[in-house]
Order: sequence, then structure tokens, then C-alpha cells
Amino acid sequence: MSVNKNARMQAGVLFLIMLLSGCATPQTQQLRHTPPKDLPAHVELTDVPFYPQNTHQCGPAALAMVLNAGGAQVTPDSLIKQVYLPGREGSLQVEMLASGRRNGLLAYPLTSSRQDLSLQNLLTEVAAGTPVVVLQNLALRWYPVWHYAVVIGYDLPRQEIILRSGLEQRLIIPFATFEYTWQRAAYWAMLALPAGVMPRTATEETYIKAAVALEKNITPKKNVVVYQAALKKWPNNLTAYIGLGNAFYTLGDKEQAEKVLRQATLAHPDSAIAFNNLAQTLADQKRYTEAFSAATQAVRLAETKGSSEEQGVTQITLNEIQEKMH
Amino acid sequence: MNKRFVCITGRILMLSMLSLSLPLQSVQAAMIGADKVTISATQVQFDRARVQALIDREDIRAALQKEGIDIQTAHARVNALTDDEVQQVAGKLDQLPAGGEVLGILLTVFIVLLVTDILGFTKVFPFTRAITHPARR
Repeated sequence: MSVNKNARMQAGVLFLIMLLSGCATPQTQQLRHTPPKDLPAHVELTDVPFYPQNTHQCGPAALAMVLNAGGAQVTPDSLIKQVYLPGREGSLQVEMLASGRRNGLLAYPLTSSRQDLSLQNLLTEVAAGTPVVVLQNLALRWYPVWHYAVVIGYDLPRQEIILRSGLEQRLIIPFATFEYTWQRAAYWAMLALPAGVMPRTATEETYIKAAVALEKNITPKKNVVVYQAALKKWPNNLTAYIGLGNAFYTLGDKEQAEKVLRQATLAHPDSAIAFNNLAQTLADQKRYTEAFSAATQAVRLAETKGSSEEQGVTQITLNEIQEKMH
Repeated sequence: MNKRFVCITGRILMLSMLSLSLPLQSVQAAMIGADKVTISATQVQFDRARVQALIDREDIRAALQKEGIDIQTAHARVNALTDDEVQQVAGKLDQLPAGGEVLGILLTVFIVLLVTDILGFTKVFPFTRAITHPARR
């Protein structure tokens, strides 16, 4: 519980130690010398609710704040059962992400192609209106004190970051101190966004993974929105095509499903999955000749480079279509 | 739904069984999911069905309950993880930070136990002994 009360002091001590040991905060330096032009100077997301944490339970508290901001009606208490590990007196990152999904939001771990841009990306997301959960190690590498907090704002000229942290509704610490504590937790951060909202700094692989993981937790209608957002940004992504086509299929909109899956086969002529799902969609519309041709192609592709599951399913699709043709 | 298609392979059966406990996951005739697009042939397919079965084992149930985690909760939490996440956790659980003021390597219940046990990193009983050690401060 000392985390909250001593956060400032620990951070201060840490700062001193780091100065003495010659460690650097390169990202803070970079922001000071060349602040990104498109980043507003001051941001504070005052609407983000605040839940002071109970003993050890900064995970559920931090998570509840960002989930509320994303539109999910949850309280820290309701999240304890989803993320808290009594034996560890803490919460694992993977379960923080999983809980975001269980509550219907896209759980996006903040990543960047260049790690030296982590801080800039974090501020970019906050500037876009999204509070961000961060994992910090408030102490030292060999004596870790792990802590989740929520970044709700920053002040570029003053080089300060604004957090909801522990018992403090508005904890302001220097960028450099924050960078030390965050660096020690490998710059881990997560966003929780409503369906269709794209992180400002989204990377293709991370977004798609997050979207697929979310799929089963939200309605097909919302999945349509999630995958459409992906295709808008990455028009060639096969997973997004399949996800969108399947979502339309589940909704019973076979025409839209067909349209999307056909595009998928054109953009990815080597995808057995695209051909298989197109074949199934056509067969459902009783267009067996076209379906047969797509299913045959799916089987052929699966044989050469597909997984055993793909081989099995494509064969079954083809068999069923053949049966119906007679 | 065409029932003939559901029981093609054990994997599909397993997925469809899993889906019973999940909202809105439909079992589609022979549509392949978007999650299968990126799976490479070499990627380990984590067998959740085994994990879920493990939770129901008497000794593990007892260990979980001792830590205040009921069985349904444990099932739901394993279900909520992606294969990737399960693997991330499995390899190095004892080193993972758990935000909330935790020190060092403190072995724990639940996923740790489930995942490491299933992958053969640990056995349940050594583990359950481990949690009775006083936490190092």
C-alpha cells in the first residue's frame, strides 16, 4: 500500500539514483529538444473518472478508469474477479488486456515500431482523447515495485505528465521521472477503445491481433465496425477481410459477406480460407456452380500450404457442395 | 447450423464446445475464423480443453479455492486469454510483473499453476507448497 503514499518520494529517490548512476532519459530529452509539431502543448482529460485503489489493487482501479472512459459500465470491484491474483497481490498485463476485451472494448497494447518513440506515442494517444494505462516499476530493477496508473494528461513546456495513480487523483511528475519508472516496465501501456475507434499510433499487426481477440466478446455488428476500421487503414489486410466477411455472414447478410470475401480472394489469391468462406457463402445462396469452383480452389490451396484444419474444413465444404449439386 | 459439420476434427469440436460458454460466438457451418489467418504451421496450438479440464481436477480445485478463486472464475479467465497470451505467460510467469506492489519471484495460483503445469514446467504439488512460503519483503 506504500505505493501510493510514497510514489512521489520513491520517484524522487529514483531520479537521484539515476542521475548518480548516469542513466539517461533519452525520450524526455528528445521531447524537450524537438517537440512534435502536431502535439498540443497541454492536454488533460478531466472527464476520466477516478477510483482510488484498495490495497494492492491498482490493476482493477486503473482498468476501471479507462474502461469507464471507453464507455463500459464497470467498477474496480467488478474487475477484481477478472484480473486480480491474490497469490501475487497484483494483476498480470495479459489479464488486464483480456479484461478490457471481456468488457467489450478493444484492448490495444501500445507498441511502436521504434521503442525510442514510446513516450511520444503515449502522449499522442492522450492528445487524441484516450486515457492510457501504464505499468511502472516505481523502484529498481533488482527491487521492483510494480504499479499500474492512468496517464490522463501532460504539459510539454513544463515537461510534466499527469496521472491518476493510487490514491492520487492528479499526480504530476516530471517526464524524466516517469520515463525512468516506465522504462523499467519495458514501456508497457494499454488503451481500451470502443469498436471502430483506431488508436492514433496503431500498427497493423497489433491492431489486427487485438481485433481478432475481441471478436468473440462483441456483437457481429460491432465486429463489422472493428474490421471496417482496419480495412480503411490497411486496405489489403487478409485477416480483416476474413473477419469482416465472417461478421456479415453471421449477421445473415450473405450479399455483403460475398462481396467482401470475393475482394479477399482477389487481393489474396493464395488464401484457402478466403476461397473456402466464399464458397460457403455462395452455397448458402444456392449458387452451387460458383460455390463449387471456389471450394475446389480452396482445397487445392489448402493442400499445398494450408494447415491440417484448413485441409479438413475445405474438403468438407467441397463435399457438401457436391452433395447439394446432385 | 448444419450439424454434420461441427464434429469434423477434434479441434473444431473443442472450439465449438468452448463457444458454448461465450456470448455471440456462432458455430458456423464451414466458415474458417479470422483468427486462423495468421497461425503458422509451426505455432504451438495450445490446448485449452486440457487446461479447462485441469481446473476441474480435485486437487487443483482445492488449491484455487484456498486462494479464494472459484472454479467458474478460473474457467472464464482462461477463456479470456488468447493463445498468444497464454504462451507469453507460460514461458516466464515467475518473472512477469504483476502490478500492485509485488516483490520478486513469488509463485502464485491460478494461471501460473494451470499453465505451467499443463506445459510441464511445474507440478501442482511443488507449486502449492511454494505459495505457503512467506513473501519476501
